[in-house]
Amino acid sequence: MSTGTLTPRAEFAHSAEASHAWSQTMAMSKRSIIAIVRQPALIIPSLIFPLFFAALGASSFNRATQLPGFPKVDSFLALTLAASVLQGVIFGSVTGGAALAVDIETGFFDRLLASPTSRVSILIGRLAGNALFGCIEALFFTLVMIPFGVNIRSGPAGIAVITLAGGLIGLSIGGFMAAMALRTGSAEAVQGVFPLLFVSMFFSSAFFPRETMQGIYRTIANYNPLSHLYEGMRDLVITGWSFDAMLKSLLIPIGIGCVSIPLALLALRRRLRAV
Amino acid sequence: MAVMSGTNSNNDYPIYAEGLMRHFGDVKAVDGVDLQVNAGEVFGFLGPNGAGKSTTVRMLTTLLRPTAGVARVAGFDVVKDADQVRRRIGVALQDAAIDPLMTGHELLALQAVLYGIPKAKVRDRSRELLERVGLTGAADRRVGTYSGGMRRRLDLALSLIHQPTVLFLDEPTTGLDPMSRLALWEEVRRLNAEGTTVLLTTQYLEEADQLADRIAIIDHGKIVRQGEPRELKAQVGAPTLVITVPTGQLDQAREVLRSFGELRPTAEGSLGVGLSAGAEAVPAVVRSLDDAGMQVQHLELNEPSLDDVFAEATGYRLEGAASASGLPQAQGAEGGTGKRGRKRGTNETTGESA
Repeated sequence: MSTGTLTPRAEFAHSAEASHAWSQTMAMSKRSIIAIVRQPALIIPSLIFPLFFAALGASSFNRATQLPGFPKVDSFLALTLAASVLQGVIFGSVTGGAALAVDIETGFFDRLLASPTSRVSILIGRLAGNALFGCIEALFFTLVMIPFGVNIRSGPAGIAVITLAGGLIGLSIGGFMAAMALRTGSAEAVQGVFPLLFVSMFFSSAFFPRETMQGIYRTIANYNPLSHLYEGMRDLVITGWSFDAMLKSLLIPIGIGCVSIPLALLALRRRLRAV
Repeated sequence: MAVMSGTNSNNDYPIYAEGLMRHFGDVKAVDGVDLQVNAGEVFGFLGPNGAGKSTTVRMLTTLLRPTAGVARVAGFDVVKDADQVRRRIGVALQDAAIDPLMTGHELLALQAVLYGIPKAKVRDRSRELLERVGLTGAADRRVGTYSGGMRRRLDLALSLIHQPTVLFLDEPTTGLDPMSRLALWEEVRRLNAEGTTVLLTTQYLEEADQLADRIAIIDHGKIVRQGEPRELKAQVGAPTLVITVPTGQLDQAREVLRSFGELRPTAEGSLGVGLSAGAEAVPAVVRSLDDAGMQVQHLELNEPSLDDVFAEATGYRLEGAASASGLPQAQGAEGGTGKRGRKRGTNETTGESA
C-alpha cells in the first residue's frame, strides 16, 4: 500500500472562522433560554416568590408609607417593584449559573470544548440568555403590579428602562454566578451563593428608603450599590421620568457587570488552562 | 477497508503520539504512550477502568494538555494547533453528555452552528444523520425521554455532523443492551468502510476483537501490547486448559498442572494452564489429575483469546478478578480507584472463553 497524506474530508472544516462567533453566541444563548423555558419547576419560583414577598410586604408594611422620610407613594407595592425585579433576576441568574455548572458536571461543557467553538461564545451565550430572561422578568413584574395599583409615573419609557435594567442585572449577577460555576464546576456551590445575594438586599434600600434607616445598617445601605440601583428604578416608578434615575438604573448594573464579567472570563481562562 | 501503511511520516498518520504523558500530581495516568494509527483503520484501545484510555483520548481530542510528549491528530499538533484538530475530529465521549432538555433536532442544529456549517446545509445534514442512526421518528422528542441506546446513537450523529476524518469513540457501548451494541458496531463498520479513521476505547474484549483492525492494550498508563488481534493471539500460542476442582484440592492441582505448561490467570475458584504441547495434552492432564486423586468438576479448553493476550501482558484478566493461580490482583492507577477487573456500570457480559 502506498503512503498517503491526510486531506481533510470535512467540507466544512474551514468555515467555522471567527465570523461565526456571533452565530455561536446566539445559538448558545438560545440553548440557555430553552433550558429556562423547559424547566417550569425552576422558573415558576423565580416569578412567584418575589410576587409573594411583595404581597406580604404590601399587606404588612403599607402603613409604614406614612412614616417620616418615606417618599410619597401610592402603595408599598410601588416601592418594592424594583426589589421584586432584583429578587427574580437573582433567582434566574443562580439558575443560569447552576446550569453552566451542570454542563461541566455532565460533560456537555467538554462537548463544546471539543468543537471549534469560540470559548468566549460559550460564556457570553449563557450570559446573554440570563440577560434576556432578566428583561422578561422585569417586564413581567411591572405588568403584573400595574393592575394592583402601581402607577409607573415615567410611562412606557420608564417601563422600557426598567425592562432593560432587568436584563443588565441578569447579565451582571449572571457574571458572578458563571464565575462561580467555572471556578467550582459544582451546581451546589453556585446555588449556595443565593442566600448571600438575598441577604445583601436587606442591607440596602430594597424594602425601606435609606432615610428611614439608622446606624450601621444605614451606613452599609449607603455603600451598597444595590441601594442606588433600587432608588433609580424606584424613582422611575413613583416620581416620573428623570435622566438621573435612568442613569442609575442602567449604569449601576453595567458597573457591577464590569467587575463580574471579567471575573467570569478569568474563571473560564483558568478552567481552560487547568485542563 | 483501505488501511494506509508503509513508510509514513508523523504527519501522515491520522493519529500519532510519542511519549505521551499526563500526570495528576503523583499519579501517572498516562505514562509514555506511543501510537501510530493508520488512515482508514479502526484502532481499539483496550484496558480496564483507570488504565489511562480516557485520559489518552482527552489529550488526543484537545480536552487535556499532555504533561509531556507529542501528539498529532489529522496532521496537527494537539497543543499548538488545537483548533485545527477540533475541526477535523468527531468525538463521542464516555458518558453521552447530551442536554436532556433539547430535542435531537435542536442538538444537531446547535452542533452544526458550533462547527460553522452553513445554515442551508444543516437541515439536509441533520435529516441524513438522524436517518442513519435510526432516530428520525424521535428527532423532535426531548433527549431526556431517549433510552441509553438512543442517546449513544444521537451522540454518534452529533460527532459526525461536520464529516470528520478522524472519529474518537470513548467506550461507546458501555451500559448498552446487546441489540444497541450490535447496532452501534454496525454503524462503526459502516463509517470505517466510508474511510473514517476510528479510535475506539473499550473494556470489552469482544468489541475490540470484532471491530478493531489493530489494538493496543493499555495498563497502568502504559501500552503493554500492540498489534492485530490475530497476531497478538498467535503470540500467546498455546491454548488454555481451564479446570475446576474442589477448593481444598486447588494447591495440589496447581502442582500437577505446572508440569504441562505455565499457569495462566483465570476466574477465582478455577485453574488455567497454557498447554505447551497443545490440545493433544488434554488426555494426559486428565490422567495425571486422576492419578493424583483429584476430582475434576469442570474442564474446558480455550483457544487463545484477547483475554489471554491481556492476561499474559498484564498478569490478570480483564474479565473477572484475579485468579486462584496466585497471580496478582488488579489495581487502579488513574485516580487510584482500584476498580480493575470489573466492568463499570453494565449488565452485560462479553467474555471470550469458549
